Amino acid sequence: MSDTSRELVHQTLTFASPARIPRQLWVLGWAALHYPEELARIQERFPDDLVTAPAFYREPLKTEGDAYLPGTFVDEWGCMFENRQRGIIGEVKEPLLRKWKDWNKVRIPRERLSVDARKVNEFCRKTEKFILAGGAVKPFEQLQFIRGPANLYMDLAERPEELFLLMERMHKFYREELELWASTEVDALFFADDWGSQNSLLISPGLWRQMFKPLYRDYIDIAHDHGKFAFMHTDGYVTDILPDLIDLGLDALNAQLFCMDIEDLGNRFAGEIAFWGEIDRQYLLPFGTPEEVRAAVRRVKAALYRNGGVIGQCEFSIGARPENVTAVFEAWEE
Amino acid sequence: MLNEIQDALLRGKKDEVAALVDKALALEFPTSRILNEGLIAAMEKLGEMFKNNEVFLPEVLVSARAMSAGLAKLEPYLVRDNIQPKGSVVIGTVKGDLHDIGKNLVAMLLKGAGYKIIDLGVDVSAEKYVAAARENKADVVALSALLTTTMVQMKKIVEAVRSADLRSVVVIGGAPVTKEYADQIGADGYAPDAASAVEEVTRLLAR
Repeated sequence: MSDTSRELVHQTLTFASPARIPRQLWVLGWAALHYPEELARIQERFPDDLVTAPAFYREPLKTEGDAYLPGTFVDEWGCMFENRQRGIIGEVKEPLLRKWKDWNKVRIPRERLSVDARKVNEFCRKTEKFILAGGAVKPFEQLQFIRGPANLYMDLAERPEELFLLMERMHKFYREELELWASTEVDALFFADDWGSQNSLLISPGLWRQMFKPLYRDYIDIAHDHGKFAFMHTDGYVTDILPDLIDLGLDALNAQLFCMDIEDLGNRFAGEIAFWGEIDRQYLLPFGTPEEVRAAVRRVKAALYRNGGVIGQCEFSIGARPENVTAVFEAWEE
Repeated sequence: MLNEIQDALLRGKKDEVAALVDKALALEFPTSRILNEGLIAAMEKLGEMFKNNEVFLPEVLVSARAMSAGLAKLEPYLVRDNIQPKGSVVIGTVKGDLHDIGKNLVAMLLKGAGYKIIDLGVDVSAEKYVAAARENKADVVALSALLTTTMVQMKKIVEAVRSADLRSVVVIGGAPVTKEYADQIGADGYAPDAASAVEEVTRLLAR
């Protein structure tokens, strides 16, 4: 009998030579709008081995509008996004907390803690797939939504007391959210923050270690204390903090490998952390040929696979060609 | 004194920079020296440090804010002494695209390098770029796009600038943009990141 998806991912994360590389396709709304039939074919031919558990919230999230439609969307923290295009998320243009005196505008979305654990567990028991927790733990990103990126970066340079108070409130809430998910039968907890620009970190590694590494330490510890794996997503160049994430015990990292030196990543970190994708969504998937995409997949495998440690993830993102997304999964099966 | 201005700016101390510019003016330092050897020289150093990953966005932003504080003190004297900017740059994020973090950073660094910035914001049409470039006699039209679906607007804008017979050079940048794409659509320049944008604009205007 062949291994289940859950077993494959476990073997991948523990470098125990899975029978095949597990796969996962992330789909931006744009792809479903522009290529519904092609997307359905890809998903039927290459079903995901990892899925995200629905939260089954007992209390509705206090959001307004649709994040993926033109117009405005207000997230559960009260941050307003503006959007012009269907199928992608917009940007915050007017930060909620432009002045610290507006403190009371920030609401902690406690309704996110109304996850129906019983239903989540039922969901987990009905599938053989590897299950990631829902939730949206993203301290750096949410701080940018709340303060606006420019204000937040200046806060990080000047470190006013109010920043620490905001971070403390947020972190306390995120810990509660992760503890809640960790008490369910999901296989892994998940958190995300984009830490890189095209070729460097957004903040210095030193500042990151001082201000943010302790937050991730807590998140990863919560996962491990409950026997779960810890998964993280980040965009951009993040090579300089990879040793820290490994030091914290992060199990799988979804990162833009093609912003970094993939062979260097392999030489330094393969076998110490699982690389959860991705294949270049900036240039290759929208502008490359299927053959170039296959070559990229082979390159990633050669550099990063060590009896496991690689999940064949990619994102069907804005502008991506369906034939290239197909080529990603065909190549992982070679 | 000028070294003190540079030092305060590199530490991002806006009140200190403003006070030092006041002091330099009171001591009758030439306006052009305060600008070029104090503020701009410091921002050039900062740009280089940013490019070399010696400083990062937090440090760049507080220094840019300090630059603005110094410049605000200096501006009446720049007008009085008829000191012109190095060039004028019309900048914006192209139509259909609301992403402006990168564009704002480029505008900030160009301003710090001594250019006059006309920031058109986001979701900017070709017509608006052309009108602003004409009105401001822009030396540079700078285009930003984050999305693969909106970067195609850049071609239209390049064509519109050429058709309008403007003297402006067009520089493009943004996550999906490449040098090949810049060449393909006939843009004059391309910058892969914010620090390089200043170098690229300077290079193009020196031609």
